[in-house]
Amino acid sequence: MTARYDRAITVFSPDGHLFQVEYAQEAVKKGSTAVGIRGKNIVVLGVEKKSVAKLQEERTVRKICALDEHVCMAFAGLTADARIVINRARVECQSHRLTVEDPVTVEYITRYIATLKQRYTQSNGRRPFGISALIVGFDYDGTPRLYQTDPSGTYHAWKANAIGRSAKTVREFLEKNYTEEAIATDKEAMKLAIKALLEVVQSGGKNIELAIIGRNQPLKILESKEIETLVAEIEKEKEEEAEKKKQKKTT
Amino acid sequence: MATFFGEVVPAYSRAVEEGEDDSEEEENEEDREIRNEIQKKREVHVHWNPEITKSIDTSSAKAFQCSDLILAAGPNAAGFLSAFVLSSGSWETVGSVTLWNERCKTTANQQLPAGPSCVFHRPTDKPDVLICQCTCHVAEDQLFQWAEKVLGSIQKTGLTVTVLSDCSVAEYKTPDSVSTISVPFLRALKTRHYKEAPHCPLLEQPNVITGLPAAVLSHCQVFGIPAVLYQCYSDVVKPDSVTMEAYKPTVSCRSLSRVMKLDSSESVDILKKLVRVNEAQSNLYT
Repeated sequence: MTARYDRAITVFSPDGHLFQVEYAQEAVKKGSTAVGIRGKNIVVLGVEKKSVAKLQEERTVRKICALDEHVCMAFAGLTADARIVINRARVECQSHRLTVEDPVTVEYITRYIATLKQRYTQSNGRRPFGISALIVGFDYDGTPRLYQTDPSGTYHAWKANAIGRSAKTVREFLEKNYTEEAIATDKEAMKLAIKALLEVVQSGGKNIELAIIGRNQPLKILESKEIETLVAEIEKEKEEEAEKKKQKKTT
Repeated sequence: MATFFGEVVPAYSRAVEEGEDDSEEEENEEDREIRNEIQKKREVHVHWNPEITKSIDTSSAKAFQCSDLILAAGPNAAGFLSAFVLSSGSWETVGSVTLWNERCKTTANQQLPAGPSCVFHRPTDKPDVLICQCTCHVAEDQLFQWAEKVLGSIQKTGLTVTVLSDCSVAEYKTPDSVSTISVPFLRALKTRHYKEAPHCPLLEQPNVITGLPAAVLSHCQVFGIPAVLYQCYSDVVKPDSVTMEAYKPTVSCRSLSRVMKLDSSESVDILKKLVRVNEAQSNLYT
């Protein structure tokens, strides 16, 4: 039955599915994992770095991109589609600044991206964008924001979320571990993002990239040494936990 | 011919042409020649090493003795065997299959993971176990030949066949939505003479197995050889470590437990290597 209803995206199937949009969501699962966490004074984006070929320049393979000074996004899915969406979003951010003389709010730019994606699910001859995006930043009133969009053009605000391969596992981890005390400080929020990624990343801290935006501060992408330090702290805490449990058992 | 949705469908003419007898005969000669050439080109060639060739030639049934044949069809099944079976113990390559079709042009002496190939390995300490890693596409017209020539060289008494094969979850038919099933998963199919219980649910109707696993299983059913097939449905058809690890439950199978080592540290390294070679080439998804 699906074979007759997935050729042209403007066609609904008899049971109300838009199969091309659902297939686009499968394409997102082929990208590596990205996680976003909204802290109190910080927003964190963590991604699993894609393995780079030997002769490839590593810094040109990026999953985290700045859209403006105070907003950045991570995506999962088709690389080329992401480039188009990011370019359009960046132009819109500057256009907004010039027209309204204010930086965009995170919700505004998310809505712009989501509207763009939705338009491609409703016109003939075009396929939907095969990416989901996590958009983070601070509004000018200082509120931290995290939004997620998907190929259908829906967007929602989240406290913490994950997209890409194994997103379900990471989201379950976040549901269990996202507590007020887990995001009490900036460092704790960064460690939570790393811990969530370590659940699914295959080679540990070497393959993780982290980006943070603090209130009134520009985007900062952490160096690998800083990430290694945080990973070492996390491992130490895990060992201490295990020790405590052992002691509890023996006493 | 273009349909309403813009897809192009090849339309075959059903008109029958009545040609003259003379020209028909000439054409037949040429046609026959061309057909013979194509058949020769598409022939499946099985090469065994001198030791096995000798035991085939000296036996009365023109076949060598083997108690367990483990066949991996597909890159993830082959990768699973590379990581968890071939990584420990010492193995020797004892044979290969070369064939030609539009999708696969194998030559002898090709090693995994270089290109598509079909290679046989045997552990030096258990010469009655035979492992086959087949990553080349076997065309529909070559399947029967493959099964006949390979299984024909092996004595049928005392033989148990285990097949591991990859399949895309898009081909899995189920009344539930595919997004609710956790992928990858295994399904089994066995011949009448296979008495052991498979270590995963049996394949439900109306799903069918196609390709090389089907040819091998059919051959085993016809000749009364106990055989089991474990098909792994996955959303990734390229080599992927999660899919390869999905074959782990088959370790409890009698044939595989003789040669599989699940806790080897080298397995993890081999898995990573197999996947990395493939991942770095593709820039489509980030």
